Amino acid sequence: MVIVPATTGQMGVLPGHVATIAELKPGVLSVHEGNETTKYFVSSGFVFIHANSFADIIAVEAVPLDQIDANLVQKGLVEFTQKLSSATTDLEKAEAQIGIDVHSALNSALTG
Amino acid sequence: MAMAALRREGRRFAPLISPRPITAVRSSPIAPSHEDEGPIGVRYISTQVVRNRMKSVKNIQKITKAMKMVAASKLRAVQTKAENSRGLWQPFTALLGDLPSVDVKKSVVVTISSDKGLCGGINSTSVKISKGIHKLNSGPEKETKYVILGEKAKAQLIRDSKKDIELIITELQKNPLNYTQVSVLADEILKNVEFDALRIVFNKFHSVVSFVPTVSTVLSPEIVEREAESGGKLGDLDNYEVEGGETKGEILQNLAEFQFSCVMFNAVLENACSEQGARMSAMDSSSRNAGDMLDRLTLTYNRTRQASITTELIEIISGASALEG
Repeated sequence: MVIVPATTGQMGVLPGHVATIAELKPGVLSVHEGNETTKYFVSSGFVFIHANSFADIIAVEAVPLDQIDANLVQKGLVEFTQKLSSATTDLEKAEAQIGIDVHSALNSALTG
Repeated sequence: MAMAALRREGRRFAPLISPRPITAVRSSPIAPSHEDEGPIGVRYISTQVVRNRMKSVKNIQKITKAMKMVAASKLRAVQTKAENSRGLWQPFTALLGDLPSVDVKKSVVVTISSDKGLCGGINSTSVKISKGIHKLNSGPEKETKYVILGEKAKAQLIRDSKKDIELIITELQKNPLNYTQVSVLADEILKNVEFDALRIVFNKFHSVVSFVPTVSTVLSPEIVEREAESGGKLGDLDNYEVEGGETKGEILQNLAEFQFSCVMFNAVLENACSEQGARMSAMDSSSRNAGDMLDRLTLTYNRTRQASITTELIEIISGASALEG
C-alpha cells in the first residue's frame, strides 16, 4: 500500500482503489511493502490510480528522506520567509509562498 | 597534349610506360601526378602532389577517428539518462494515450534537432517529417506552426517556412541536459504559443545504429475533455475520479502541461543520444573512406615513384650507350 500526499491530504492507496487522478503537494510519500516502509519526499506531481489496481506516481522530484540535509532546510525556510515579506509583485509573492510551502513540508517530513 | 607535341618532334627519350600511368585511378578527382616539362630533354615526374594529398587524407582520418571516440563517450553519458527518462512519460501515455489522429484546428510542430553538424541524416529526416505533418494538417480552418529547437532544423526550415515559425531555440546542449532547463523551455512554449495539439518530432534512440524518427502528440486540455466526453479514444478518462482542485478542467490543465514537459525532456534526451550515435557512424564511415583513399593513393604514389626511377635509369643508360656506340 502507498500513502501519497495529495492536495486534499494524505491519501492511502490499496489494491482495488477507485480509478483516480490526483495532484500531489509537497510531502512525504511512503511505500509499504509487507513490513518494510520506504519514505520519499516528493516535491509535487500526479498520481494515477488505474482500475486494474496499478498506480503510477509521477513526481517532479523525489528524494529519499535520509538524503535531506536539515540545516539547508532551515536556511531555505528562513530565506523564503524573508523573500515573502519583501516581495512586491504577485509573481514574487507566489514564488516565495511556494518556497515556504516546500520547505515547511520538508521540515515536517524530517521531524514527523 | 604536351606529350603529343614531343612525339611529333621525334623525341628519343620517350618513357617506356605510357605517359599517363595512373589510368586505373581515373575516378579520383585530381591528377595525382603529371609530367613536368623542364628544359629540353629533362623530364621528371613529381610525387609531391600525391604525397601532399596522402598527408592531408591521413590527417583527416585521424580527426574523424578521434571524433568517433568523443561521440562514443558522450553517447554513453547521455544514454543512461535517456533510458531512465523513458519512465517519465509512460504513465501519461497509459492514461491519456498518444493520439496523433485526433482532429484539431491548431497544431504546433516542435522539431528537435542538433546544433552541430557531421551527424549523418537525422536532422534532415526530422525536418522532412515536420514538413509532412505540416502538409497533412493544412487545409481550411486548420493551421500548423513550427517551434524549432536546434540550429540545423532552423537553417532548413527558415528557407521556405519562415512565416510559420513561432519560436526558435538554439544552444540547448551548452550545459548538460536536465529537467529544470527543459521545464523552463516547455513553460516558454506553453505561454507563447496557442495550440490544440503539440506534435513533438524527434529521433528515438533504439540502438547505436538505429534511430527512428518519432512523433509524440500532446493534446491541450480542452481537446482532452472534448475527446473524453464524446467517448472517443479517451472515453475511459471519465471513469477516473479527480481529487482536489476546484474543477476537473484545472487538473487537466496541470496534467497537460506536466505531460508536455515530461515528453519534451525524454524527446530532447533521445535526440541527443541519436545525434551522438549518428555522429559515431558517420565518422566511422568517414575514417573507412579515408583509409580506402589512402590505399589507392599509396598505390598511385608507388607507381609514380617507380616510373620516375625507371625514366632516370633509361636516360642514364641511353646516354651511356650513346657515348659508347
